[in-house]
Parts: sequence; C-alpha cells; structure tokens
Amino acid sequence: MEAVKFDSSTMPRQRLLYLHARTPSVFSEILGFTLIEPIEGYRAEIAAEAQEWPYQTVHDALVDGWQIVQFPHLQAPFSDQDLDVVGYEFILQRLEIIDDQ
Amino acid sequence: MINKEHLLTDVEVARFIVNGYHIVEPDLPEGLNEGIARQLDELESNPGAAITDVVPDLWQVLEHPALRGVLVSLLGPDYEVLSPRHWHCKPPGSDHMQWHQDGTNNRATRIDHFLGLYYPRDVTAEMGPTIIVPGTQFRNAPTDRMATYTNIRRQVPLVVKAGTVALTHYDLWHGTAANRSGVKRHMVKFHFQRTQENSEPTWNHDPEELNRPHDWNLRDRAEDVNNILTFGNPLGVSQSDHYKERAIRRKCWNSLMGG
Repeated sequence: MEAVKFDSSTMPRQRLLYLHARTPSVFSEILGFTLIEPIEGYRAEIAAEAQEWPYQTVHDALVDGWQIVQFPHLQAPFSDQDLDVVGYEFILQRLEIIDDQ
Repeated sequence: MINKEHLLTDVEVARFIVNGYHIVEPDLPEGLNEGIARQLDELESNPGAAITDVVPDLWQVLEHPALRGVLVSLLGPDYEVLSPRHWHCKPPGSDHMQWHQDGTNNRATRIDHFLGLYYPRDVTAEMGPTIIVPGTQFRNAPTDRMATYTNIRRQVPLVVKAGTVALTHYDLWHGTAANRSGVKRHMVKFHFQRTQENSEPTWNHDPEELNRPHDWNLRDRAEDVNNILTFGNPLGVSQSDHYKERAIRRKCWNSLMGG
C-alpha cells in the first residue's frame, strides 16, 4: 500500500502545549509552560531570560482555540504527606496548517 | 573556631529550608577566581573527583570563612567535604539541560547534606547558567517525570558574579540554559555532609525569634522564622501542597534545633 504523502500546504499538523496548572481547575494559574511546534529541528528549551507566557490559565488557552487532549490524572494514590510533581498536567493541541516550505 | 560574624541568622536558615538554596559571595583574594577559571580552561580531560588535586586553589574557596560559616550553620561544625566532586564545563554552543536531580529522589525532612556550586567566572544569561526551581526540594518526583516541563514560573537562573558559591539542597530541581556566548561556563560541584546530629542550633540563633505571631498582612515577607516557615510559597503551589510543605519544614527546622 502506498503511503499518502504529507502535503504541508493542505494537511494540518499537531501543535502541542503542556500546561502545568496549580490545581486541576482550568481556571487556576499555570506554573509550567511547554510549547511543542511540529517543525523540524524545533527545541523546547529552558531559558535564562524572563518569560512572558501568552496564557495565565488553561482557560486562556481554550479561549485561544487550544483543545485539551489529556486531563490531569487524579486517580493516582494520594498521600497527605508526600509531595511529587509540580502542578497538574494538561496536554492541549491545536491542529493547524503550517506551511514552512 | 568559626567566626560568628559568618554564621547565618535564624531568618536565613528558615529561608534555606523553604527555598532550598543560599547564595554565598566570599571575598576571595584578587585574581583567585580568574586563575582557577584559566586552569579549568586548559584542562583537556575531566579529572572527576580529583579536580581539587588538579586545581588545588579550589581549597581556598572551600576554606573561606564566609563559606565555612554557612556550612557550619546548616551542617554543624564537623561537616565533611565529600569526595564526589565534579567540574562541569559548558562550552560555547552547548545545548540546554533538562530538569533533573542528581540521583534517585530521596526526600529527607532533615538538612544532612547538600551541594555547593562554585562559579569562578561571571555567569551571564547567555552563558548557559544553572537554573533552579526554589521550593522543589521536598518533592518525590523522578527525573523522568520532569521531562514535559520546560519553563517553570518561578525558576531562578544563577546569573552570578565570579566567586559565587550557590548552596543547593540535594533534591532541588535544576537544569541549565544553552550557552550562546563565546565563553566557557565553568562550575565546580561539591557535596557537603553533616557528621553529627545537632544538640543545639549551630547558627546565630535568637530564642526570641521563634515566638513571633502570624502576620497575616506581611506573611513570609515578615522577617521571622515562624512567618517564613508558615507562609513561604516560592513555587506558588496549591493549598494541599502548601500545607504538606509546612509540615515538612517544621520537621526540618526542629531537627536543626536539636529536637
């Protein structure tokens, strides 16, 4: 079977956004921000310079057209003493045509 | 005998417990830092733990009273400089390094050991500074679980002047930015350890300091132990996490007090 050739001028790619929110609520403040652009060679880098994030909450990103593809897992065993990761991870996507030719 | 002038205050000890780091800027002899940096520039291979044999001037940093004062304050007068030591060279053009901890996560509610990161040369934002996340030191989060984080709201780049030693809790999340400058960024990492339990505070302790009431207006900006341990929230975490942090901090403080 011949694979369908990807045509960047007509077919969308998946932009990803990992947002680590203060609580599982989409209205809570974001503590961590990772944008993954579906562009060859793209790197998400820790930066030494001050960051200005486009969104302060997950809800801000929803308003801007992002869609949640994974909500934070809350089924994990809960300890009232131990701390683990920072915040609650939402993974969002936006499907867009990105013509980088 | 340590000069009390260099010991930490109660507030500084409380801030170390809450934030997981403390910055020391020893007044080192003129030319020492640049001399060390030049020796590191010329190393052709990494000597590992033998870095202090290859560059013995590093002992002048380790034995400086300002650094010793902080180490005595947090680890007691009989602290050890452990043999694991490491020279980290971040050459021009080197990539960023993801968030990690230096081993398996083993959160302790005591201050028994931590790292010292010595920078012999000024570090600018372009030189690929170490970046730390204050308040993450009590988290049982394996390094793999940190892979989807990039920038964290209150991360702190260690943009420091030559001669700075950053003392960082062993479990504090850290990474580096990319080095986009034309200069090698050096850091020598040391590991310090307590050898004796505290039977009393080993810093400049004032018993009156502990009895301040909660200040609901200033909160952790109130310069006293009780308010810093209670209200400090360097990461801006949720109420559930914050309450857990408070309990861990109190255990930590009590063990340092000799309790």
